[in-house]
Amino acid sequence: MPEGALSDIRVIDLSRGIAGPYCTKLLADYGAEVIKVEPPGEGDPARRLGPFPNDLPHSERSGLFLHLNTNKKSVTLDVSTTSGAVILKRLLARADVLVESHPVGQMAEWGLGYDDLKGDFPNLVYVSITPFGQTGPYREYQANSLVAMAMSAVMYATGDPDKEPLTTGGTPADYLAGEQCWLGVLAALIHRDREGQGQHVDVSMAEAAASVDEYNAAMYAFGGAIRRRYYSHHVYSYPMDILPCKDGYVVVIAGAGGFPSLATVGTASPMALLLENLELDQHPLFSSMGDRMVRWQEVDEILRPYLESHTAREIVETAQALRMPFAYVPTVADLLADEHLKARGFFVEAEHPEAGNLTYPGPPFRMSETPFRVGRAPLLGEHNEETLVGELGYEKEDLTILRDRDII
Amino acid sequence: MTSLPLEGIRVLDLTQVYAGPACTRILAELGAEVIKVEGPLRLDITRILIFTDNEGLDMPHERACYFSVRNAGKKSITLELNHPKGVEMARGLIAQSDVLAEAFSPRVMKNFGLDYESVRQVKPDIIMLSMSGYGQEGPYADYGAYGMGLEPASGISEITGYRGGPPIRSGLSFTDPVTAFLGAGAVLMALRHRQRTGQGQYIDLSEHEGAIPLIAAHLMDYVMNGRIAGRLGNRSPWAAPQGCYRCRGDDRWLVISIQDDEEWSAFCRAVDHPEWEEDERFADVLGRHEHHDELDELIEEWTREQDHLEAFHLLQRAGVKAGPVFDGKDILLDPHFKERHHFDIVEHPLLGRRPINRQLVANFDRFEASVPGPAPLFGQHNKEVFQGLLGLSDEELAELEQENVIGPGPITEIPPELWSEFLKLPFEQFLEMGALRAIEPDYKQQLGLED
Repeated sequence: MPEGALSDIRVIDLSRGIAGPYCTKLLADYGAEVIKVEPPGEGDPARRLGPFPNDLPHSERSGLFLHLNTNKKSVTLDVSTTSGAVILKRLLARADVLVESHPVGQMAEWGLGYDDLKGDFPNLVYVSITPFGQTGPYREYQANSLVAMAMSAVMYATGDPDKEPLTTGGTPADYLAGEQCWLGVLAALIHRDREGQGQHVDVSMAEAAASVDEYNAAMYAFGGAIRRRYYSHHVYSYPMDILPCKDGYVVVIAGAGGFPSLATVGTASPMALLLENLELDQHPLFSSMGDRMVRWQEVDEILRPYLESHTAREIVETAQALRMPFAYVPTVADLLADEHLKARGFFVEAEHPEAGNLTYPGPPFRMSETPFRVGRAPLLGEHNEETLVGELGYEKEDLTILRDRDII
Repeated sequence: MTSLPLEGIRVLDLTQVYAGPACTRILAELGAEVIKVEGPLRLDITRILIFTDNEGLDMPHERACYFSVRNAGKKSITLELNHPKGVEMARGLIAQSDVLAEAFSPRVMKNFGLDYESVRQVKPDIIMLSMSGYGQEGPYADYGAYGMGLEPASGISEITGYRGGPPIRSGLSFTDPVTAFLGAGAVLMALRHRQRTGQGQYIDLSEHEGAIPLIAAHLMDYVMNGRIAGRLGNRSPWAAPQGCYRCRGDDRWLVISIQDDEEWSAFCRAVDHPEWEEDERFADVLGRHEHHDELDELIEEWTREQDHLEAFHLLQRAGVKAGPVFDGKDILLDPHFKERHHFDIVEHPLLGRRPINRQLVANFDRFEASVPGPAPLFGQHNKEVFQGLLGLSDEELAELEQENVIGPGPITEIPPELWSEFLKLPFEQFLEMGALRAIEPDYKQQLGLED
């Protein structure tokens, strides 16, 4: 079995919810040993977030938690107590990375801020992930994914022009923040490999959301144009849209060569071939991208009869054969049944003692020499004994005392 | 401050448009030397997206905002990979690179003779990152893929939309930046692994797959309960009321999210409506989920009279999650993003000073990962790279240029009016349609960019 890319790295993970745990999931799935430090009793609040099997809440059966915490170990520890902090520091002495997502100033209040720890742990990469970062006027403000998306300049440009701006579905800013946090950890580890020093890395969810802004800010910074939301249309071409078809929806993208152009002179355009009407190449809308963007309702009328009489599969397969990059709009059920993802073995299964055998998303990318690991999430405190007794050398009786005082 | 973590790392970057260039820009922000390769006759298509900034101007392909943002801080060379000499030169560059990044359809690199097996012959410990729409293998591997099709294909659009409405795409190609982050992280891990073991590797990144974990909660709901959740607009199962509410002014909005009793109570007091707290319908969490529509009406009655920024501060100071909906201008002027250097001001020879957002937003204590410089001009670094790395003489370069293996091709000979005529977007009509809020000719002044 090849080693994971990060098999030499140990991470102490105090983060909770989605963003921090997604960061440490990416570390754990590619080989790092991640010890998740959870508050005794209830554990990571994500354990309380659904979905649950049969909608019965259970701290070991949250689908979200199970997904976000694969390949990690769980230790319960109340780091806000002096005794808990002592144990945490013993863990840190053997660790490379600390990830935390507490409100700004909280760790320092417990004597566990970066400045408190850097003297004892000069090699530690200490990563904080918060709504707005450690500095700046909004540093103490709160946010969830919706707030971050609102302030990213992406949401203003998402939705219908006559309705309120719309967030992207799910809680995308949490995941974007997790990915940016993961990049921060990796960059700081490479820096440490070279310079021999740890450091503090400060990640803001609001900035992570804003970092995906393709050109809303750029259109202003480079030309004074303020873009608004306009259905699913793209800024520089039409049709680039999600449109209804016989059995649902399909992404219609003419692409660079779909309509008549210098390259298609003398032949039928892919779009005319798709719509099975070669006369369309003479239609004025087929020759002007600008007109198509402005008179898009007329374009939709041209497309409608074909789309409404064909399934998404027929449409995508025919269009792709004509070299137009049409795409599906799958539901989660469609994704799980998708033949391509099946052939690639994307979804993976893992057995969990409380939740049973479940299907999970697999590798977000595939590394030839240091592959993704399939694993499961830990039970709350599952690794207390292994870690505290086995690693740190506490006596088993010590665990009883610590448990009695709610420290573990 | 010490040196950047990727100083001394060279990336040969064959990618175009968004995902690939955003990925290699992260590596550039971390100090890598990124050499962007374009064909002398086939430039990165984003160079010729005509926006207001390059319409009708001389050398429009050097002024396009989209290109300028994605490629800031890179070097540019032109190299024809459909010519055997071009491929030979690419091999020579790969032999002196640490990372090779590409985002072609899977068959293309093989056709060039630059697939991983061939590339390894030249540089055994190369790290090769292939970013593609659907991955290197599988039934859709050869599908054409645009970023705007991959967000829906990943399942994200199906859960994005107003309640009862159709699926909607985000206001950008959402999977592109996700791919960029994942690709950059994969390269960082591979570089560490190479440092430890001397071993390079191949990375197959499917944009489609990379984004699927983002909707895991929905996937798990189907896995566990066979349920396909409907589109929720801006609502959430985890908070109520939660929504986007109209404020005073033209198209001004504020999002508000209230999770528990404490936040609800804080909200009612902050907006000076203690009677809402007394209202039995809204007394507990379940009631607030059940009577969400009524709450939305009441809340919007209040927000309509408020300035969205003032209301944002008022609610946040009371401990309530809230955020103004920023447009592309607002975020550039926001004091918080400014103080955290989310945008770096970069000086470009033709465009002057422009703010460009960071692609890597983590802030580091020991080094500053900022936007490393302006986007390169087309083929700007041909001489530097081909002479410095391949040792070619002026005569050899002139000959290669004659043969269209390198060089700027015919692109600079196209008159700007012609560019614009073909590629101009109908901005005035966009304004009328409501696809643009405004076009402000004095934007540089407003952004403080005038010298």
